[in-house]
This record gives sequence, structure tokens and C-alpha cells, in this order.
Amino acid sequence: MPGDVVLVVDDEPQIRRVVRNALTSENARVIEAANGRDAIDLAAAERPALIVLDLGLPDIQGLDVCREIRSWSSAPIIVLSARHSDQEKVALLDAGADDYITKPFSPGELQARVRAQLRRSRLAPAAGATQVITIGELVIDPVKPSLKKGDGAVHLTKTEWELLRTLLKHAGRTLTHQQLFRAVWGNSSGDMQQYLRVHIRSVRRKIEADPVRPRLIVTEPGVGYRFENEP
Amino acid sequence: MSDEGGSPRRRGLGVWEWVGWFALLFVVTWGMAAIRPRLNEAHVTLAYLLVVQIGSARGGRPLGLSLAAIAFICFDLFFLPPFGTLTLQDPLNWLVLGAFLLTSILSAQLLYRAQAEAETARDRAAEIDRLASLGAETLNVGRAEEALTAIVSVIRSSLRLDECTVYLSDPMTRAIQPITRSGDAGAETAADAELAQLVAGEGRTALQFVDGTTQLDADERILADIDKSPRVRALARPLQVRDRTVGVLSIANSNGLALSAAQIRVLDALSYYAALGVERVRLVAEAQRAAVLQEAHKAKDAVLASVSHDLRTPLTTIKALAHEIAEGGDDRAAVIEEEADRLNLFVAQMLDLSRIASGAAASDIQPNEAEDLLGAAVQQAAGRLHGRELRVAVASDEPLLFGRFDFAQTLRAVVNLIENAAKYSAAGEPVELAARRDDQWLLFVVSDRGPGVPEEERERIFEPFYRRSGSPDVGGTGLGLSIARGIAEAEGGRLDVANREGGGSVFTLRVPAIATADLQRSLQLGDGREPAPS
Repeated sequence: MPGDVVLVVDDEPQIRRVVRNALTSENARVIEAANGRDAIDLAAAERPALIVLDLGLPDIQGLDVCREIRSWSSAPIIVLSARHSDQEKVALLDAGADDYITKPFSPGELQARVRAQLRRSRLAPAAGATQVITIGELVIDPVKPSLKKGDGAVHLTKTEWELLRTLLKHAGRTLTHQQLFRAVWGNSSGDMQQYLRVHIRSVRRKIEADPVRPRLIVTEPGVGYRFENEP
Repeated sequence: MSDEGGSPRRRGLGVWEWVGWFALLFVVTWGMAAIRPRLNEAHVTLAYLLVVQIGSARGGRPLGLSLAAIAFICFDLFFLPPFGTLTLQDPLNWLVLGAFLLTSILSAQLLYRAQAEAETARDRAAEIDRLASLGAETLNVGRAEEALTAIVSVIRSSLRLDECTVYLSDPMTRAIQPITRSGDAGAETAADAELAQLVAGEGRTALQFVDGTTQLDADERILADIDKSPRVRALARPLQVRDRTVGVLSIANSNGLALSAAQIRVLDALSYYAALGVERVRLVAEAQRAAVLQEAHKAKDAVLASVSHDLRTPLTTIKALAHEIAEGGDDRAAVIEEEADRLNLFVAQMLDLSRIASGAAASDIQPNEAEDLLGAAVQQAAGRLHGRELRVAVASDEPLLFGRFDFAQTLRAVVNLIENAAKYSAAGEPVELAARRDDQWLLFVVSDRGPGVPEEERERIFEPFYRRSGSPDVGGTGLGLSIARGIAEAEGGRLDVANREGGGSVFTLRVPAIATADLQRSLQLGDGREPAPS
């Protein structure tokens, strides 16, 4: 994080102050905007490494700011929200946000999320889907493809590999049910929810040490799933 | 037909008309007498019949019969030999005379009947017309009360009453209140209201006689027998819609109510309209009440949403600054941060309760898998177990457990149950979490080794803010269990508590299960792009 430019967008000066304190203590350089218009201009001019975006802006809907910036920037966007609605979270992720934090949050929580997003964005795009990954006694080779758990090889079906590759490709980022289903099943119709859950369960049973205490494929309730690249 | 419909209504036939008809008969007689040699009995019969029938048709039965009698005598006197006497030369001519008389009387009678029937039909048609237009009027009037006012004034004028009142009757308390009144009962208004209250309570018609005594309808014959009763001053009858008494119609005449069968029929029909009118008044009032309530609900939701938003923003600042200060070594700041968290939890739970109360607790019901929920619950409960172990029991050979529920909300309910279990069980005792199928239900079961819940408290612990008797001060908001139950019910499921064998309690949350046999099979079929999208 040292030296990274982080753009903080919030109309509340107190919140900007809290976020600034949390991030400067991590040696990030913080620039601030109090409304959506300024946020888009600053993001274009300064090309920040990461954006912390509040949803309740006075001029432009936070969701639209998110979409606008995402259309030309790949910098991770972390959204701050005072509401708890899952539909809102899904809409944000679909609009291109990478993560969200619900108010009130603790500075430690924010720092951890920012670190994780910065690390993820520094990886070559789609690296997760081509590199051999070793987590504990688990060795995943998504290209070959092969999966080893300790000494034994574990068989994954085609669909299961597709699902695992999609999650690995976006490791550290929450994918909505819709995004996952499209990536694995394309535009086919069918009971999306049911297929997805059946296959998440079977992949978990094959890669997790304890499938009811998943540490690799994490559930975001009401939103989607995330592969933890540093469980 | 019977005479029930009344005789054909005629203006009384004037003296001059009678004279005219008799004159016509004499002119015909005189004319025929002049050419008597050229006529036989048939000509005479036909001419007289013509006069009698036209007379019957125009003047009615009495005129027809009178004309027939006179024609009979004239026939005998002037056209049957010997002329000028009532005796007959040829006895066969009695047959001619008899046939003539019979035919005249019969035709007069038949014409009378036909006319009477036509008249009744016309009357009925007019009555139906009146009711139909009243009905249309009733339905078209802008305000429900105005329709009732129209009905009441029609009842009063068509039955020539002193007074007609419609009361609204509360279906629960049976209390009545007048909605509309036509005419004036004067000093008897209080007596009428008393009678109406009696009717509202009993749901039966009642009469009040001129001497002040009242009689309740025992066998539904009271109206039919009204002409046999002593003089009736007032009548009140229940207005019913779908067997519910919604109001009372009361009519009164200080000189006595005399109702004919036809009038009772009119009263029946109009009472029906009055009942519909009262029901409409009631429904309009109810709709207005509901609209006001909905407005209040909306306002409450808006207030709650903005309160939660406006509370969370400063809470974020408080929490963050307290955190910074606490890092500097001030313990008091850590307390501030904890309290900020508590306040936040409280706000969230108040919002949950309000969502449950407004029926929006489970808005995202989908097919979900049980193991997924258990995993998420373990993750979320991690910081709230106060050092206790959370044991999760799912056999690895367990078939797919699918249910239809709102994942995020059910997770909240299960985490609340885990938290509750951790709160009440002794330190070191594990909390157990399991999922299993029970017929058409998917069960999430949370068990603890706490003190258990006494029989009499098993329902009360689900009430908001209820605290178990003799329980230690365990903190929290006292809302967790009631929120959990609200969520279960919003999903069409249930949440119950039972005692656990060997001590402690078992909370069972059930949601509708989904049969997964087909999915299971397609998964076991091995590789490929299974399950094939339909």
C-alpha cells in the first residue's frame, strides 16, 4: 500500500476523515472528493490505485458513479453503504464494484479490505486461472487440469472445473450468483439457483478440509460466493 | 289465477257510459227488429254477442254481464216467436237462448281474466323498472351514504310511512348508529332506536305495537301474519349480507302500519338494496381506514430507514475515532467502541422487527442448500460464541438437503439461535448445529446444554424483549428469538423450542423442503455439462 493513491468519495467530512486516518496510517496517499462529479474528474485525472466510494452522494447516484468509473478504469472500487439490503449489494457488484463495507465499520476492517483489493489488482489479470495454486495440502492446476489433496488425486467434473476456474480467476472478489451462473452455464436457462448450489456443494466437498466450515469458497449471504486467496 | 294481484284497475265507469252502452244495445235491437223477417237466430246471436264482447272489453265485467242479461231478454222478447212475450213457441229455441247467454258470460269472464293478467304483468314490470332504476341509482351515486338516503326516501314514499331509518350495525359489538333517516318519528325516535338495537342484537325482525309492546319474529312468519296482529306502530328488520347483520332498517307510522302483500314484497326488495348500501358504506369506511394505516406504515418505514441511515453515519465516526484512541492505550475508548456496536445491533434489529411486522421479512425466497447455510452460520457465529465450541453435524453421505427459503434471512435466524444457545449454556459446553430432512420440512436444529425452557415460557420467549425468569443478565437486545421466529413464519415455516434429553433445550427452525431426487441422479451420472439446462 505505501505510496498508492487512494480516492475517497463521501459527502460527510467526518467519514472522509475516518477513512483518511485509516489509510494514511498504512502509508497510502489519500485524495478526497465530496460529490460524484468531482469523484469522476479526480479518478480520471489522478488514476488512483483504489477508490472508496460512498453510496449516498448529493449529486449523482453512487451506483452510476461506480458504473461510469468502471467503464474506463480497472482500479478496485470499495463501496461504503449504510443500508443492509442484499439486492443493493448485488446491484453494486454487477455495476463493477469489487467489495463493499457496511457502516459502521472498524478501521481495521477497512484496512484489510483495501489491502486485499490492492494485492489482487496487482496480480496479472486472470493469473488465478492459469497458475498452479498450492493451499495447504491442496494443489490445484487449473490448466491441466488436476487437483491433488495430500497424496491422492481428486476427480472434478467438467462443470465443477468450470466453476472452480471462474472463482480462481476472480479470487478475492465476490461473484454474484448471476455472474457465476453466466460464466459456467452461459446464457442457458434453468434453475440457476439450484444448479449453482449443487455444484458449490460438490466442489466444497472435494477441496475443503471441512465442507461445513469452508475456508476457500466463502458464502456471501444473499449475494454470491468468493474464493479466498489467503484463507 | 288468484286475486292476489288485485282486480284490473279501472277508473269507475261513468253513468253516461253505462247509458251509452244500453242505448247502443237498444239501437241494435231496434235496427234488427225493423228487418226481422229477413233475419234468423244466428244473425241475432252474432249481433248481440258483438255488442256484449265489445262492452266487456271496454267497460269491464259488470257491464259485459249486464249487457248479456238485457240482450238475453231482448232476444227472447223480439226475435223468438211468439214475439212480445218471454214464452217460447219452439222449445228448441231455449237451446239457442241458453247457448247465447252462456257464450256471453264466458267471453266476458275470459276477457276479464286476460285483462287482469295483463294488468298484473304491467304492474310487475313497472315495479321491476322502479327497483332496477333505484338499483342503478344506488350503485352510481358517488358517495355511499347518498345511495342509502335515496333508498330510504323511496321506501318511505312508496309505503307512505312517517319515518324510515337505516342504522349501521357493528359486526363485533352489535352497537348501532343511524346513517340516514327520512321523515320524523317525533317523540318515538328513542323507541325506534331501542327496537333497532334489539333487532341488531337478535338478527331477527321485530314489531312494536301501538300500545308500546314489542314482539320478536320467532318463526319468520311475522311479516306474513302482520294483518292478523294488533295495530303495529313500527317495524325493524335486520339488513343482512352473506348471513351477516350489517345494519337495521326501521320503519314507523304513528297511525299504524298496514302492509299489503305487494307492499311487503316491495319492502323486501328495497331492504336488499338497503343492505347492499350499508355494506358499501361499511366497506368505504374500512378502505379509508386501511389507506390511512398504509400511509402510517409507509411513513414509519421511511422514518426507520432514514433513522438507520442517519444513525449509522455518526456511529461510523464514533466507532472509528474510539478505535484510534483505544489504540493509543485508553481503555475507556474501547468501551465506547463496544457500545457503538451495541447501538448498531439494536438499530439493525429494530429494522428487522419492522420488516417482519410489515410482511417483508423474506423477500428473496429461492432454492437453497442446507450445508451452504451451515457453513455461513459457522462463519458468522464465530465471534459470538464466548469461547464455546460450535459442533456442526452433517454426515458426509447425507443426500442433498434443499429447501425453499431466503438465505440471508434464514442465516440471520440461525445465527440468532446459535447466539442465544451460547448465551444460556454453561461455559465449556458446546453448542450443536445440525440440518436434516423431515418429510416436507428442512430442519435447522440448534441444541444447547443450558437450563432449558420451562413449559410455561416456551411461547413467551419468542415475544420481543422477553427475558427468561431467573436468567442471568446475558446482555443483548432481547429481540433475537422473536426476529428468528418472525423470519421462519414469513418463509412459511416454524420455530419451536423443546427440552433436550439430558438437559438443555433444542430450537428447531423448519422451512419448506424441496425434493432433490432428480438433481441427485443427474449429478451421479458422472461427467458432462450436467445438469442439462432445460
